[in-house]
Order: sequence, then C-alpha cells, then structure tokens
Amino acid sequence: MKRSGSELLKSINLRPFVESLIAILVGFIIGAIVLIAFGYNPFEAYYWLFHGALGSTYGIASTLKYATPIMLTALTFAIGTRTGIFNIGAESSFYFGAIAAVIFTNIWDNMVFGLVMGMLFGALWALPPAVLKVYRGVHEVISTIMLNWIGWFFVLWLIIGPYANPNDPNKTIRIPVDARLPEIGYGLSIAIVIAIVAAVLTYFLLWHTTTGFGMRASGMNQKAARYAGMNPKMAVMLSFLIGGLLSGLGGAMKIMGEGPGYAISQGGANIYGFGFDGIGVALVGRNHPLGIILSAIFFGMLRAGTALMQVRAQVPLEIIKVIQGIIVITVAIPSLYDLVKKALRRGAA
Amino acid sequence: MERTPIIEMKGIVKVYPDGTKALKGVDLTVYEGEILGLLGENGAGKTTLMKTLFGMLHPTSGKILIRGKEVQFKSPSDAIAQGIGMVHQHFTLVEVFDALHNIILGMEGHGLFSKIDVDKAKERLQKLMDDLNFKVPLETPVEDLPVGVQQRIEILKMLYRDVDVLILDEPTAVLTPVEVEELFRVLRQLKEEGKTIIFISHKLNEVMDLTDRVTVIRKGEVVGTVNTSEATPQLLARMMVGRDVVLRIEKPPKEPGEPILRVENLKVRGDRGEVAVNGLSFDVRAGEIFGIAGVEGNGQTELIEAISGLRKVEEGKIYLQGKDITGKGPRELYDLGMAHVPEDRTHMGLILDMTVTENSLLGLHWRPDFQYVKGVINWNKAREHARSLIEQFDISAPGTEAPVKALSGGNQQKLIVAREVSKEPVFIIAAQPTRGVDVASTEYIRNYLVKLRNEGKAVLLVSADLDEVIQLSDRMGIIYEGEFMGVVKPEEVSTEEIGMMMGGIRYEEIRK
Amino acid sequence: MDAGSVISILITSLMAMVPIVLTSVGAAWSERAGVVSIGYEGVLLMSAFFGAIFAELAGSAVVGLLGGMLVGILLGMLHGALTVYLKGDHVIPGIGINLLAMGVVPFGILAYWGTAGQHQLPQDAQMWHLQTPYGDLSPMVFVTMAIALVTWWVLFKTPLGLRVRSVGENPEAADALGINVEKYRFWSAVYGHALAGLGGAFMSVDWLGLVHKTMSGGRGFIALANMVFSGWNPLVSLIGGWLFGFFDALAAWLAPKHIIPGQFILMLPYIMTLVIVAGIIGKARPPKADGKPYKRE
Repeated sequence: MKRSGSELLKSINLRPFVESLIAILVGFIIGAIVLIAFGYNPFEAYYWLFHGALGSTYGIASTLKYATPIMLTALTFAIGTRTGIFNIGAESSFYFGAIAAVIFTNIWDNMVFGLVMGMLFGALWALPPAVLKVYRGVHEVISTIMLNWIGWFFVLWLIIGPYANPNDPNKTIRIPVDARLPEIGYGLSIAIVIAIVAAVLTYFLLWHTTTGFGMRASGMNQKAARYAGMNPKMAVMLSFLIGGLLSGLGGAMKIMGEGPGYAISQGGANIYGFGFDGIGVALVGRNHPLGIILSAIFFGMLRAGTALMQVRAQVPLEIIKVIQGIIVITVAIPSLYDLVKKALRRGAA
Repeated sequence: MERTPIIEMKGIVKVYPDGTKALKGVDLTVYEGEILGLLGENGAGKTTLMKTLFGMLHPTSGKILIRGKEVQFKSPSDAIAQGIGMVHQHFTLVEVFDALHNIILGMEGHGLFSKIDVDKAKERLQKLMDDLNFKVPLETPVEDLPVGVQQRIEILKMLYRDVDVLILDEPTAVLTPVEVEELFRVLRQLKEEGKTIIFISHKLNEVMDLTDRVTVIRKGEVVGTVNTSEATPQLLARMMVGRDVVLRIEKPPKEPGEPILRVENLKVRGDRGEVAVNGLSFDVRAGEIFGIAGVEGNGQTELIEAISGLRKVEEGKIYLQGKDITGKGPRELYDLGMAHVPEDRTHMGLILDMTVTENSLLGLHWRPDFQYVKGVINWNKAREHARSLIEQFDISAPGTEAPVKALSGGNQQKLIVAREVSKEPVFIIAAQPTRGVDVASTEYIRNYLVKLRNEGKAVLLVSADLDEVIQLSDRMGIIYEGEFMGVVKPEEVSTEEIGMMMGGIRYEEIRK
Repeated sequence: MDAGSVISILITSLMAMVPIVLTSVGAAWSERAGVVSIGYEGVLLMSAFFGAIFAELAGSAVVGLLGGMLVGILLGMLHGALTVYLKGDHVIPGIGINLLAMGVVPFGILAYWGTAGQHQLPQDAQMWHLQTPYGDLSPMVFVTMAIALVTWWVLFKTPLGLRVRSVGENPEAADALGINVEKYRFWSAVYGHALAGLGGAFMSVDWLGLVHKTMSGGRGFIALANMVFSGWNPLVSLIGGWLFGFFDALAAWLAPKHIIPGQFILMLPYIMTLVIVAGIIGKARPPKADGKPYKRE
C-alpha cells in the first residue's frame, strides 16, 4: 500500500529544518552586528553577497563549484553521526584522495581510474581509526585528529617532494588532460553532479537498504541493534570506510576538476580545510544527505558571493566565517526549537 | 527498656510521573539500636522507600521524622547530615581512586585549596577499621579490588560520616558465604555500639539470622511487622507473597509435546565476573508455558541473554529442536524459529527514536518478503506489516510513521509481542512481558501467550510478578542464585512454599 | 652541530612550549572534570588578536595577557553553558568556536588595523624579554612552569582537585555525596579556556610581537595531543609540551639540511600520541565520564 502525497509530506519532520533556519538567521544577525561595529553596512554587504552568488550564471556556477567538496566531506561526518561515531577524519581522507588522483592519473591518464584511486585511498586512510575504535575502543575524536595531522605532513611531503612539478615548484605535477573532469562551464565541472549523486546514493544506502538500517539502528541503540540481529561493529567499520571513500572522492575531484592548474598548489592550500567546513555543512544539514545538499549549496553561496561583496561593499570576505561559526554554535544548542518557542511565548505574554 | 523510635515514616506515598504508584501510604517505625529487616519481592517498594528516606527521591506525600522532628531531605547530603547513610545495590565509587580517597570525598576536612591530610584520614580510618576488625586496603585503586571489598568501602564511607542509621540494600547479593558471615559480624558489632541497621533483602534465611524485627512490604504497602524471634520462614513467605485470589486464566489441559528448548548444565557469568547461572538444566516443551519465578537478580537476565544469543555461555549446552544452538547469535536464532520479548523494552526491544514501521521490522529486516531485491528494503511491505500488527493486536498508535516513543508503555509492549509473534516462531521467550503495562494490555498479552501455548508453541516465561507466573505456567521453576530451588506444577504447591523457594529454600527441604 | 645551535633550539623550544603547555594544562583540568572541548585552537587565535588590542590600548603587554585570558574566560563560559547546563554535545561548540575565530580574526585585523592578514605590534605593547646570545627568553616561560606545577598540585593533592576528578570519573558518586557536579564542571571548563586564552595572548603580545591571521598554527590541536600523550597530567604536560616544541624547532633546523624531510619529524609527536592511546605502549585512559553530559535521574 503506497502512501499518499500528503501523508508523505506530513511524515517529513520539519523541526530540524526550522532549527537550521533559526541558526542561519542568528548567524546573519550577529554578523550584521559585527559589521556595524566595525563601520560596515550590513545591508549593502548582504545584498552584494547574495547578488554575487546568485545574480549571474558565473555566480551560480561558482556557488555549485564551492559546494561540491564540502558536500562530500559533510556526508562523511553525517554517515559517522548516523552510525553513532564522531568521525572528523574527512579532512585527511580528502588530502589522500587529492594526492592519489595526482599520482595515479599520471600513471594511467584515465578519469575513472583517478576517481577510483581517490576513493580507494580515502577509504584506506579511514581504516586505522576504524580498527582502533572497533578493536581497541580508542575514541575516534582523538584518533582522527591525530591522523589528520599525520596525514597532512605526509601528503605535504609528497607535494613538496616526489610529486612537485619540476617546472613550477609551487605546485604538484598536473592531472593529465585526458583525466580531467569535463567542464560544464564558467569553471564548474561535472564534479557537482557526481557529488549530488553521491549524496542521493548515501541517502538511499542509509534509509533503503538493510545495511543502512543496521547502521542507523547501531547509531541509535547498540543494545537493541544486537538484539535485532544486527552487527554494530561491522556498522562502525562500514561507516568509517564509506566516509573515507566519499572524502577521498571529494579530494580527487577537487584537483581533477579545478582549472586552470589541475594541480595541488603550494603548501596544499587548495586541499586544506574542507573537512572542517564539511562538519559545519553537515550540522546545518542536520546530518541528512538531502539536507546536506541544500546546506552545501548554501555554504557554497556564501563563499561565492564574497568576491562581489569585497569589491562592491568593501567588506572583508572573512565575515562569512564569522557567520558560519555563529551558525554552528547556535545549531549546537540542544532543543533550539523549544527554547525559541518558549522565548517567543514569553515575549508575547 | 524504653525504646525510642529513631525514624518514623508516616503515610509515605510515591507516585511516578507516568502514574505508577510505587508506595501507597507506608508507615514505618525504626527503633534506635535495632536491626530491622525490610522484606519483599521486587517491585514491592523496599528500595523506593529507603531511597526516599535517604533523600534520593522525594515523596509525593507523607512525612519523615527523625528523633521526633520532621525533616525534608533535598538530597542525600541532607540525610547524611541527619545521620542516615545508605549502601546501594550498585556501588557509587570512583574506580581510579583508592579506598581512602573514595571515603573522604566531599568530607576532606578543611579548605578546598589546602593539602589533603592523608595521614590524619588514614589514622582515623585505621582506628575505625580496628574497632570493627573490618579491614580494607586503603591505598589500592578501587577498580583492582574484589566486589566484597568494594562493598566494605561503601560501608566505611558511611561510617566515616558518623551515621547513626545504616541502610543496606540487598548487600549479600554480591558476596560469597564467607563474606556474608563477615558482614553480619560487623553489623552485629555496629548494633552493639548503638547504631541502627535497616537490612533490605528477599532472602528469608538471612533475615531470620540477622534481624530483630522484620517489616514485610508488598505492592507498595506494609503487610505487617513481626519480631524475628516469633517468626518462621513460612510466615514470612506468606506475608511476602500474599494470598490474593488469583484470576485464573482459562487454560484447557494440554498434553505437552517433545522438548523444543533444552538447556543442559548451563553456566553463565554476569557482568562482574560472578557466576550468575549455576549449572541449570531444564526443558520447555511444545504446547507448554514454562515459567521462571524468582526475585530479580538471581540469574534470570543472564539466563535469557545466554539462550537468546546475547551473552557468552561458559559451560553447558542449549538445544533448539534438537539442534545445538550454544553460542549462536540472535540473527541465526531468529531464523531457526526463536522469538524474544525482552525484559527491557525501551533499551533493547525497541529503538525509541525510530518509527513504528522501522521497529516492526527489527529482527525481520533481512527476510525476502520485505525486500525488493537482496539488500533493498521495501518500505511499502514494511508499512503493511506494521499496519497489520497494529490492527491484529489493537495497538493504539498515531500512525505507522510516528516515532515509537510516542506510544504508551502498554502499546509499545504489545507492538513488541506482535512483532515477535509475526516471526512465526516455534519457541518464544517472554521476559517481564507485562511490566509497566496497563491493565487492558496486560490481559491481552497474557491471553495471547496462552493462545500461543494452545497452538503448540513452546513459551518460556520469566517474570518477577509471581501471580503472573502462577496463572500462566504449566510448569514453573523457582530460581535462586542461579539454580532452581524446585521445578513444580503451580497447582501442586502453595504460595507459601513458593515464597520459601524464592527465599532460598529448596523444595526437597520444604517437603521433608 | 655546535653547542650554540643546541642551546638556540632549546631556548626556542621553551618559548614555543608556552601556548601548548598552558592549553594542555587547562584542557587536562577541564577533561578531568569531564568536559571535552576541541575549540582551543579558536581560543588561541582569538585571544591572540584581542590580547594584542588590549595591549596596544593600554600600552602594556601585561594588560594584553590579562585581556587574552578574559577572552578565554568568556569563551569558556559559553562552552560551559552549552555543555554543562544545556547538556549539549561537547565537540560541536568547539568546531563553532574554531570557525568563528577563523572569521573574526582576519576580519578584525583588516577592520581594526587596516592591514591584510598581519599586524606588527608597537614596542610598548610587547613583553620584556631576557636577551641572551642564543635567543630571547620571556618571564612567561617561568610563569607557565609555575602554573603547570600549581595546577598539578591542586588537582592531585587538594580537596578541590579530588572533587574535580570525582566529577569527571563518576558524577553519580560525587552527586550522592553532595558535590555540585554542574558547578565544578562549568568552572573547570572556564579555567581550561582561560589558560588557553593566556597562551594565545602570549603568542601575539609576548613571543612573536605580531598578530597573524593563522598564527595559532594548529597549536590548539597539538595541545590536545599533548594532553592525551601526557595522560591528562598537568606536570607531565610540561615535559610533553616542551617535547612538541622541541620537535617543531628541530624540524625547522633540519629542513635545510635535507637529511630527513622535516614533515616526518613533525609527524612524530602525533604518531606517539596515537600509539599511547591505542594502548600499545602505556595506558592512557581519559576520565570515565569525560564528554558525557550529566543528568540527575
């Protein structure tokens, strides 16, 4: 018996969505206060921010381009949360995906091969924290933070050392032409399409397969999951591996889709920080793949609009990080919805 | 000798937010310098009553008087300040600290920033231990000490605070017989020094051995108080278990078939490494309800976990329809025809934040009926399934997509039973199936269990509700400290005798 | 390698260890009480920035240091409110604080001083240093050692420390004995962030004499690694922090020599932390109730 459209709509829980909106609102309000405090005009700033992001084809293309890597790292974090673990290792899996793409496309200049190797190495790097968690009970926040650093230094060495570009030591060797991701236009490659497909597949995995059911159950109640014949240990392993795979894909696509250089730049600047940003995206997207698609596009919008905002309103682009930080802190408040409702009620009384 | 009541509890009522009436107006008097036993089954209210006295729970109504003065305890520290101490069933010790620091925590003496005078504390504790001849290694981390020693530390913790009244909640549950003797010696000595002891237990022999008077509690009310010297185990058992007119459920006589479940010499360890199930053997036959009666904490939980694949079996074997299932996991067992209604519905039987539909699929989710292709769930079929469960069992739910936590306890339980039954098992475990469930659902579930039995299923019923076990079982085993004191037919024993078995006396002993 | 270079590296390590040790000591105290935070990176950065502003306005480095500490206290109160009183998740607010810092500081540098990314502090806002032929030494090095020592002593030898530790290991036990779990946890979080605030201000006002938009350089996370590596022990953190600082200086010294790539040396402290926490060597275990919000039944 299929469900009617209205039943379907009613079943979507609106509360988390509203909470994210509240957090975004609070972020912009406090951002405005900060802007005013330093003598800027928030209305001007926000106008050009949104105009820059959505007001032209180039803007929209940029929005989607910036949304892509953080969509994938957000999925990594979200899959972890849904399985009951705090996986902040997306950052380093991203690095490994990127460097793997550079290395292996230069062995065989095939695009699919590059993507696959990116995913493989992203997943392999997720193996240590997974094993440590399942077999030695090591808390994943500690292990993934350590591994983020170990991975960073290792990849940095690869970038500066063996894989540096002899013609331009500020970069690694480039992705060969045949391995590059096809461009859609205005600097946007098909990476965004792959990312959205990945998000949809992640949603499908978690909510429509028995494996995903087991992962979600283990994340909510390990005892009940065991009773139901599920395997929480396997769920945790899968969560790390799939998460690593997704971030690895993100890293690979970042370089394989990023013209005109198609290389990792000096000091790893163009592969750094996406894991952390992804966590913010995941939180605002309520750790749901479909929410993450929207959230990533929103964060991408913020990034894309800064160019115009800087030029027209003379506002430093870092204000968006201030806004993002406030949004994340606000989203961390438990039962935000209830608190706001209570406050509004008291205000009305 | 003029006896002064040191504690008087008058008209104590405790009603929980969900409506459960744990205490229905209890009056309790404790005299200074006596050892009072507080006897009753699980859920009778003994622990609830003492937690109220110790300031951990607030009574809904009623008053407490200490030495004639009315008091209101906001927290345990208020109770301790009035000289009342409690040693709980589950210890509250900081495992990485040594005994000394656990004992002085919160009472270190002087200011927050000055050095802890370890020597002075050691001296004082040493004296306390010498007086009582009750020793504990003071400088070893508590986690490295055996459970019996840990309990001593809890007792010393209270004595260090100069309590006059010491409440002990089922203290012998974790002790070896030798340790029990030691404990009793200490308690008797404390009594001689003028302290008052309240001893919560369900063990008849111990209560008879140690106490001066016994107050028996049943279903939240005091049944009576007797002088131990004038009591017998039979009397206490009768008071503890009562003689309610039990509504007998219509059970057509049925010839049981072959054994479906067979347990042989099962030995299982509990979470603390102690032996919880001690060489148990029994079987459950087709078309029979085998009930296990007994006070909680005597191995029932570990037994069920072992049978349902959730706990390791140390020795012995389990057979299902002749096949050795020892050590198999839940998934295999479900496929082999077992079903399990767990005793902890909120933490095991259901995932509260998941929907009714999702919960109705737990333990069934890999069946081909619910999949489009291997591994992909067919939620439409799942919803149908959930809907049919709701209809069949008359479950009141806001809809199949509502989170299961929105359902009442009774409806949640019915959902679990419905789900387990839908697995079409040959053997079903029903653990505390009507605990915290409303009257109508309780009746429904009990009737359903009988229906299953009539259809030829084998049912293992475990319940702390003695009436339930007596009503429903064809045969019953009374469990005590991991062994059966007796395996009998309910109609062949009196409730007194059952009470005695629950208190630790073997059937052969009773019938002598 | 001559004696002069060795002493140089040692002195650099001493200065480098200050922000790391202060943060580790604070974090260790906070986690001993059961409050986890991964936001120290953001605290370091923000207190470096605001500390510098305070120092400039007052013409005194000490005011700058205290100002940085104040910023830490305020952030600690925010974290404490979210985690202890509102029973929220312990890791997420830290992520928010880090993001916030990454925005506030570059924005602030540009908006307040008009320079992009970096600002040099005037002489009167910088701390006095002991000047040796091998490098500068600040009194803060000794203050840091004292703080580590005192914190260790209070944590393990006094009633305050006993209660703080009980609250992080078994809050139910502490509660049953009349100890206010929430109060101890909240103020422990504040203390932890306050020390990080001091460490951050040290970086701008004392050590480097400038404010740079990424000057925290991961030290907040290094401090967490040090905390774990040192077994949540403030005194051992002193040694561990120095070790991390030493590796930092060693890597910088080795780099031009091309013997081993500097990155591998820089990796070492993290590998060692991982090894310890995996129980392969040693037994580093966090407090039992670390990171778990406490609700009375």
